[in-house]
Amino acid sequence: MRLTLTLAATTLLLAACGQRVVPTSSGMTPTERAIEALPGGDLAGGVQSSIGASIRNPLEGQPEAIAAGKQLFVQMNCAGCHGYDLGGSMGPNLTDKYWRYGGSPGAIYRSIADGHPQGMPAWRRALPPDQIWKVVAYIQSFGGATPPADYQGALQGDYAAKATGKGAGTGAQSGAKGASAPAAQSPNP
Amino acid sequence: MPRTPPPFRLAPAVCALAAVAVLAAGCQKPANPKQGLAVPVEHVAGWTGATANLAPNTPPGEWRSEGRDDANTRYSPLTQINAANVAQLKIAWTFSDGAQYGHEGAPLVADNTMYVVTPYPNIAYALDLTKPGAPIKWSFAPNPSPMAIGKACCDAVLRGWALADGKLIYNLLDAHTVAVDVKTGKEVWRTKMDNVENGATMTMAATVYGDKVYVGNSGGEMGVHGWLAALDVKTGKELWRAYNTGPDDQVKIGADYKPFYSWLKGKDLGETTWPKGMAVHGGSASWGWVSFDPELNLIYYGTANPSPRVPAQRPGLNLFSAAVWARDADTGMAKWAFQFTPHDQWDYDGVNENVLIDIPWQGKTRKAMVQFNRNGFAYTIDRQTGEVLVAQPFGNLNWATGIDMKTGQPIVNPAMQPKPNVKLANACPTDIGVKDWQPSAFSPRTGLLYTAMFNVCMDVTDHPQSYIAGTPYDGMEMTRHPGPGGNWGAFIAWDPVRGKKVWEIPEKFLVMSGALTTASDLVFYGTVDGWFRAVDARTGKVLWSQKLGSGIVSQPMTYTGPDGQQYVAVYTGVGGAAMVESKQAGFPARGNTLYVFALGQAAQQPRPGMQVTDAPGAKPGQ
Repeated sequence: MRLTLTLAATTLLLAACGQRVVPTSSGMTPTERAIEALPGGDLAGGVQSSIGASIRNPLEGQPEAIAAGKQLFVQMNCAGCHGYDLGGSMGPNLTDKYWRYGGSPGAIYRSIADGHPQGMPAWRRALPPDQIWKVVAYIQSFGGATPPADYQGALQGDYAAKATGKGAGTGAQSGAKGASAPAAQSPNP
Repeated sequence: MPRTPPPFRLAPAVCALAAVAVLAAGCQKPANPKQGLAVPVEHVAGWTGATANLAPNTPPGEWRSEGRDDANTRYSPLTQINAANVAQLKIAWTFSDGAQYGHEGAPLVADNTMYVVTPYPNIAYALDLTKPGAPIKWSFAPNPSPMAIGKACCDAVLRGWALADGKLIYNLLDAHTVAVDVKTGKEVWRTKMDNVENGATMTMAATVYGDKVYVGNSGGEMGVHGWLAALDVKTGKELWRAYNTGPDDQVKIGADYKPFYSWLKGKDLGETTWPKGMAVHGGSASWGWVSFDPELNLIYYGTANPSPRVPAQRPGLNLFSAAVWARDADTGMAKWAFQFTPHDQWDYDGVNENVLIDIPWQGKTRKAMVQFNRNGFAYTIDRQTGEVLVAQPFGNLNWATGIDMKTGQPIVNPAMQPKPNVKLANACPTDIGVKDWQPSAFSPRTGLLYTAMFNVCMDVTDHPQSYIAGTPYDGMEMTRHPGPGGNWGAFIAWDPVRGKKVWEIPEKFLVMSGALTTASDLVFYGTVDGWFRAVDARTGKVLWSQKLGSGIVSQPMTYTGPDGQQYVAVYTGVGGAAMVESKQAGFPARGNTLYVFALGQAAQQPRPGMQVTDAPGAKPGQ
């Protein structure tokens, strides 16, 4: 119920502010400014970016933040798309080291805050930064996210090979047998 | 309750009837294979005595609507391909469309042209059947919003399209309906029907009867306000819209509304059977099939699950979720309604196809309809009154012990009711049901229905939800596993009068294709692991199987080419709800290829689409 009230209050506030979000750098922490500067793709000219490696989740690994992130993940209906095990359903798998928009903490923060064109909503107006970081901490706890130090390697496809997290190599159950043309049961001539 | 119905046994009187039917069939003149003409079926009594009105009696060699006829039988009168020669089927030509999501529709054929539409991005193609290899006549790319991909619960699919008034009419995933000129491939009209940013998508086959296009929304997992609307075929203008929840004026209930059961009578039930304010986000979308009785002038269609999927949050019957409507085809006013699963706690919906058949019942003929509901019961319902005549399980279930025939309501097993934040083990079936939207087929020659089905159970934990527009309003955490026997799927023949399974073909993987019946007593279906099969409609014997490139979650159809030969076509491209099995070893990759088959001996003759090519002869070397 508290959640609903918070949301309602947020909505009212947003309505009062109008629909257009005006970007502003005032009041931003250095980390938030760094996230704004994070390139969405590789830098033209083959230049290596160091900014992704500099952005750390201030709440990474903190058990209470991870627990709060889990709660948010369910309450904000993230689980409805990405799965209660984060394994993906309507939305992408968040445990498997494949990140279309980047798997570093800063990139995950940006994905949550800004959304993506294929149906991922932007949560910047609904969740304050510390709550977004809690959700990032929860996602990081599944082992699929890119550690900041591996930011460049992840861009080049070198991270997945050396990473060993919970999402690695899901072994599907076996048991399929060879018969391809089953007979009918209880045929009625 | 027995989990597996006992083997079907014919009563002596029925055996006599069947013998007469076989004799009658045997006395008919054999069809001329060169002309591919239909065997007249009106005087052939099926085993069950069930018949169907095959209006509008489409020319035998064409397939102009997804259900082929108003009654949605998916029965073709073609007979060239039969039990004796079906094993000679060979690939005639194929067509790949490049779309990566589940391919769920059936190609339509009219005037020697085949029409197909891809799943998102919903590109339409007209293929010229008169030319070698069926080349593309035109294509049309509507460019729907990519936002829709992430708002569709169960893959960015499209279940079919319609041909009417010189137009190809279909729904776009971003909640628009579009009409394209069949000659030019140019857009004639496009109508915005709902707001995709709120989670509304459109995946059902637009369906045309008379001068109206019937379309509905998807989004029972997103808290949409479910509806079905009628548009003007010529202009795309919305003529009426009937919501599935809300007060009587919104759900179009008036003086003509006469449900059979007293619990469905009352004022504003679409609102009062919900907690205050919840009906408007109550899901109950319409994303299945619309069938039509031209004599009663009624359309029939189902409604989806209530939102959120956590029942503890919405005490009440939650009308008119998980139900079927009979409505006046012109005005949209409700004639009757029936709710299959009151206060749906397992996501069983009511959207599956309603096949309109006429059955012998206590000495009289009843105008009936059959729905294989996701909840695992197959219902035979009087389509004039809404009275449930037969309701029997057609697969494995444990959420109910039966149907109370006085009320039509299920007798719920209290042990299988999910509670918030408590894991409930082994509830059967799972959310995709014993059968999902994949349409069954009816044969008037056997009087039986044929359907693909599932054998899946779930461990489920409900998480209470908040409504946030554009995000799931869902709350079911599930793991799914096959039920008794270990097979995920099966294909069955069903007696709709006695409520009994006649035969069953178990399959290792889900079976999620539509069914096709023919007047040569063949039934076609495909499996999620990519086998396309033809079976004997009477015995269930598998006569032919062909492994295709991806899994089959579409609908097979058959037509006569300009060369006079009968073809069978089916799309591959696994996706949709079948992806619940995707972690099973051997689960196929995505795909997007249409396969078209013809008889092997026909392949030896040079003719359009088969052996003739437009390749020039080799030039002599220099």
